[in-house]
Amino acid sequence: MSGHLPMETFDANARAALLDRTLNGALKRATDRFAGQRRAAIDAMPEWEAMRERAREIKAEVLADLDRYLEDFSAKAEAAGARVHWARDGDEACRLIAGIARDANGRRLVKSKSMTTEEIGLNRYMAEAARNGEEPVETDLGEWIIQLAGEVPSHIIAPAIHKTKEQIADLFVEKLVVEEGTGDIEALTAAARRVLRRHFAEADVGISGVNFAVAETGTVLVLENEGNARMCTTLPSVHVAVMGIEKLLPRFADLEVFLRLLPRSGTGQHLTSYQSLITGPKRSPDGEGPDEVHVVLLDNGRSAMLRERVTRQSLACIRCGACLNACPVYQQIGGHAYGSVYPGPIGAVITPQLAGLEKAAKLPFASSLCGACRDVCPVKIDIPELLLHLRSEIKSGKGLPHARDVSAGARSERIAFRLWSWTMRSPLRYRAAAACARLLARIGIGIPGAGAWRAGRELRPFARRSFRSRWESRGR
Amino acid sequence: MNAREEILGRVRANLAGVAPAPRSASTDEPGRPADLEDPARCVTRFRELLESVGGRVTIVRSEDEAREVLARRVRELGATRVVVSDAPAAGRLVGTLSGARVLASTADRAELLGAEVGVTSAQWGIAETGTLVLLSDHERSRLASLLPAVHVALLDARCILPTLGAALAAVHDGSLAGRTVTFVTGPSRTADIELTLVVGVHGPRELDVLLLDAP
Repeated sequence: MSGHLPMETFDANARAALLDRTLNGALKRATDRFAGQRRAAIDAMPEWEAMRERAREIKAEVLADLDRYLEDFSAKAEAAGARVHWARDGDEACRLIAGIARDANGRRLVKSKSMTTEEIGLNRYMAEAARNGEEPVETDLGEWIIQLAGEVPSHIIAPAIHKTKEQIADLFVEKLVVEEGTGDIEALTAAARRVLRRHFAEADVGISGVNFAVAETGTVLVLENEGNARMCTTLPSVHVAVMGIEKLLPRFADLEVFLRLLPRSGTGQHLTSYQSLITGPKRSPDGEGPDEVHVVLLDNGRSAMLRERVTRQSLACIRCGACLNACPVYQQIGGHAYGSVYPGPIGAVITPQLAGLEKAAKLPFASSLCGACRDVCPVKIDIPELLLHLRSEIKSGKGLPHARDVSAGARSERIAFRLWSWTMRSPLRYRAAAACARLLARIGIGIPGAGAWRAGRELRPFARRSFRSRWESRGR
Repeated sequence: MNAREEILGRVRANLAGVAPAPRSASTDEPGRPADLEDPARCVTRFRELLESVGGRVTIVRSEDEAREVLARRVRELGATRVVVSDAPAAGRLVGTLSGARVLASTADRAELLGAEVGVTSAQWGIAETGTLVLLSDHERSRLASLLPAVHVALLDARCILPTLGAALAAVHDGSLAGRTVTFVTGPSRTADIELTLVVGVHGPRELDVLLLDAP
């Protein structure tokens, strides 16, 4: 996964995030707001649980026959006049998209919000590797702010929540969007509208993500609030839709369940302002919309997640962000600490699978396993189960090319736990060990070799005499 | 091996290892709002839901009344350019408009981007969500409903369907090829700066629905 922050800086990132007062406040406001709105929206919907179960079933159905659904989708989309492209990994997807733009003589590119294009590092590829190409202009307000600042999103739904209006005003002045910066949010938004309209007016190629794709009809659905995705998929003569292979639904009618679940889970809206359901380019030359519609189907590690029942669930995610808002860890440290485009609980399970366990071995441990993510997930992904599964894979060194680095610590931990279990199996050994620990604690010596483990944990003081010995001397 | 065959091959190989999960017992259709059988309730619900997200709904009894409402809105806004779709009903609405230039949706893109008001009809409404359904193969409404700051849409109350499911069934009447379906629920909005709601970021800041409910 190119286009990412360096991985495995999680501990340092998290520590820095915890000290950032501005970030703490912004995170608290955002996660409280989204979680509260979600709660209110689903409380008003008695059939919520039945819908979650239905959604889980539909996703399981698609994933169990994914090859067939992919072939169906591809055939239907092509019959409707769309061009379907297949990309084994992120680099291949970037090359394909650059090629489509080149073939269309596309100089100016506009883009709506898409996690998948962040995953493959499309913007950086277009700016650097394609040389003659131009970096696509992000048109979602939050994404555009992030692009101007040269940063990456910190939340799936609200990419720029870590920035204050004053910081954005300064950024707009610096980047010549406005001459004088005010912290007036309406004025900042109006300035963005003005500048981005010029980009829309001149764009040759529009790039979008895909929220759902329908195998039965070859339709892609893009869901949004701002109208920039409608601009990107209507004004330029070429539209490129980029999607992971897991985005499919079997039937057009299945959209009902997901359109009811996604907005409520993400922002608490009963529906977002706009949905565009696109099935190929326009048929008649005097119609509106692009002459060409391209769909890029991206694997990039997804097919490997199908291999086991536990990991397969990861592919059901509809990227609503509810688990981020519910997570006590995300609430404290925000999205950047995860060092990946996919933050929060779902990021902690998807990133190691996409990027490789060795590159994100800390993430599955960044959880208290409280289960809040599983409770809010609209498609009932058992994230704690996935976290435990990945932890066990990491500890056993499975699938790790550099297993030795990781397992140096893992080995001493394994020995410590084996010793622990041996001690605990015999009352005699247990008593002897407890007496030892009491003695060591009294003369001020901690458990040897457990410094890292103890950094975040307080050892309770030992009682002078154990309960057992007091119980035994009770009658005397 | 080409990418398509390689990806499909990987998918098949990885699927082979896991026995298909037993289907859970609850294959019932999820519940839907049961109180939307009555058309009058559909109109009320449509209005409530659309107004709850900042849309404006004006009930008109005839096309003449709709024409007056539109003329008044254009005057209030001081609009000088109005873009209209190719729907006959939308054409009749702007037919007598004075004081503003009326552009067809085929006009030059720069002109369209400068229009203040867009007038279209809508093929369906959805009561459950307060949504307009626009079909690109029925009407050239994609740009007229998107570019101007104010979108005025004429909707026949008899075309309000109860649920999202009913609307999806209605638009999927045969082949969808070459058709773009747009669902519109309220004005364009964002909360990307400090979670503060601002309407009209890229699309219209006002959505005016003229709901034709002929007696």
